[in-house]
Amino acid sequence: MFRRVLIANRGEIACRIAATLRAMGVTPVAVYSEADRGALHVRTVADALPIGGPDPRDSYLNIAALLAAAKRSGADAVHPGYGFLAENPAFAEAVEQAGLAFIGPTGEQIRRLGDKRAARALAAKAGVPVVPGAEGDDPAALARAAGAMGYPVIVKAALGGGGKGMRAVDDAASLAEAIESARRIAESAFGDRSIYLEKRLERPRHVEVQVLGDGCGEAIHLFERECSLQRRHQKVIEESPSPAVNETLRERLTFAAVALARAARYRGAGTVEFLVARDGTFHFLEMNTRLQVEHPVTELVTGLDLVQLQLEVAAGGKLPILQEHVRHHGHAIEARIYAEDAARGFLPQAGTVARARWPRGPFVRVDAGVERGDGVPVQYDPILAKLIAWGPDRARAHERLITALDEAVVHGVVTNLPFLRALARASEVARGSFDTEWIERDFMGGFTALATAPAPDQALAVAAIAELTGAAAEAGAAAPGAPAAAPSPFTTLGGWRLPGLGS
Amino acid sequence: MRLAFRDGDRTREVEVSRVAPGRYRVSIDGVVAELDAEPLGGGRFRLRSGEAGSLAEVTRDGARRFVRLGALDFVLTRERAGGARRERAAGGGLEAPMPGVVTRVLVSSGDAVTRGQPLLTLEAMKMEHVIRAPAGGRVTRVLARPGELVNGGAALVELEPAATPGP
Repeated sequence: MFRRVLIANRGEIACRIAATLRAMGVTPVAVYSEADRGALHVRTVADALPIGGPDPRDSYLNIAALLAAAKRSGADAVHPGYGFLAENPAFAEAVEQAGLAFIGPTGEQIRRLGDKRAARALAAKAGVPVVPGAEGDDPAALARAAGAMGYPVIVKAALGGGGKGMRAVDDAASLAEAIESARRIAESAFGDRSIYLEKRLERPRHVEVQVLGDGCGEAIHLFERECSLQRRHQKVIEESPSPAVNETLRERLTFAAVALARAARYRGAGTVEFLVARDGTFHFLEMNTRLQVEHPVTELVTGLDLVQLQLEVAAGGKLPILQEHVRHHGHAIEARIYAEDAARGFLPQAGTVARARWPRGPFVRVDAGVERGDGVPVQYDPILAKLIAWGPDRARAHERLITALDEAVVHGVVTNLPFLRALARASEVARGSFDTEWIERDFMGGFTALATAPAPDQALAVAAIAELTGAAAEAGAAAPGAPAAAPSPFTTLGGWRLPGLGS
Repeated sequence: MRLAFRDGDRTREVEVSRVAPGRYRVSIDGVVAELDAEPLGGGRFRLRSGEAGSLAEVTRDGARRFVRLGALDFVLTRERAGGARRERAAGGGLEAPMPGVVTRVLVSSGDAVTRGQPLLTLEAMKMEHVIRAPAGGRVTRVLARPGELVNGGAALVELEPAATPGP
């Protein structure tokens, strides 16, 4: 096993990777940009090295700086996390050329699977149906291809993920601007301007399969995750198993995913994404050659630590478990807490976390990247934390997630917690009946009306009393004491309900 | 104590006084009520009306007040009480809707612009936002430069509206 692993990332995922490293007796090495000097992922790790300026291109996307830090720290492996350089083949190759292990697939596999042309060809060859699409650099050719497959289409960053740089285009007139914008975002986020087009399917569900390959042609799966609850192509609540997948469909999806991973001779943990239609037909969407943001739901239902599995494959060159030993137990649901104003177009927020308190209930896991007093810099993805609830069945997991969201407190930056609380309470979410477009189509209108309604008089009253008595907690000031219990708003605020969102 | 809070697009006038230890009289937009609020420290309160209790906490961040009531969160902004509403950026200025980095400036001082025309692009947390002209007119000043880090609310471009046509 490795002795020291450099974590080429920041925020909650850097903290989460460090936790597994410590548990395995491996020393984590953190890196930080100037904007992250005092960040949680830095101050909780004994070995931390600066890698450059706040702009990601100067730090978390700066391969030379990361390699220099790895050398200086004496690390023998690098974990890329997700985002930044996680799916950059040049980084994987540079790490290996420097004599270090890259905890992930080979550069060639990232290039091949990250390049949607090659990935689609490989999927088709492995017998997996693919979504119609087109790629290339010539805007005129892309426009012709879009016309041929028919609008609406989606412009995606070729090396992207997490919905970044992704744009839905409804007509030919707005295609050129969308392509230009996607290219700029792609360059800044992934260091590569390439984009591709895909036919936009109507009302699909997004179901993905977690796979693990040994790099020699053997691969297993860790069941599926349901990720249809998205806003602007960004997942917000994910769960496993999918309420839309029965045993027959599960067998077909996992079989297809494993077939693709085997065909690619895939090494490490990866995710094969599918769009599933109402009739149960499915199309290969893309393969993510990294740890996913939503990996904890898989961990809670399988009892397996995905980061540990990644390390074992990277260090040992073989799968540490057999398929028949991967068992599924109960249900897990995750919600992503972002610093963004959901009621105002999901505008990203920056600032200082003046108060943060996470749920402490049983069967609730919190993967957080900030504590009270931490800055939320403007330069990076605004994810603050993930709450993951487990239950013996979907109903229990869902109830626990609602309670966990109610208990969570973040003040000082506007977060999407009100959005998540309302979303988790929606009857469609309780029933598991939604598709990737449902939030924007049917949920946002009601939520926006609710969120922009006048604050209740009690809120103004307590704000005024705090002013009068000078009691309000200041940003950064100590707020000692046990966490307060959080009674349901539906019992304490009679008459103030979430209209049309169920309870 | 007279106070004003901005709540979304509204300004709410609040008057608060203590009538007894832990008991307050609060008038909100002229409607008066009494409330029991037991301070628990750290900006936390236990509120009582009848036998039902509820918990609240208030966090101050500059002029903003983050208020948690039960499991609901609200963000209010303290304003000067009794004063007129603050004017938005003078002279038809366009403000950054969020902190971010100016990626492109697409207009220059003196340019005539039409409603909806992209003026500049702002990138924050990997999302690009196109700032568009809210109305037709002429650019009188460009305050943003490419590569510049701007705060939310920072003035970016000043526009002089075109002569308003009749109704």
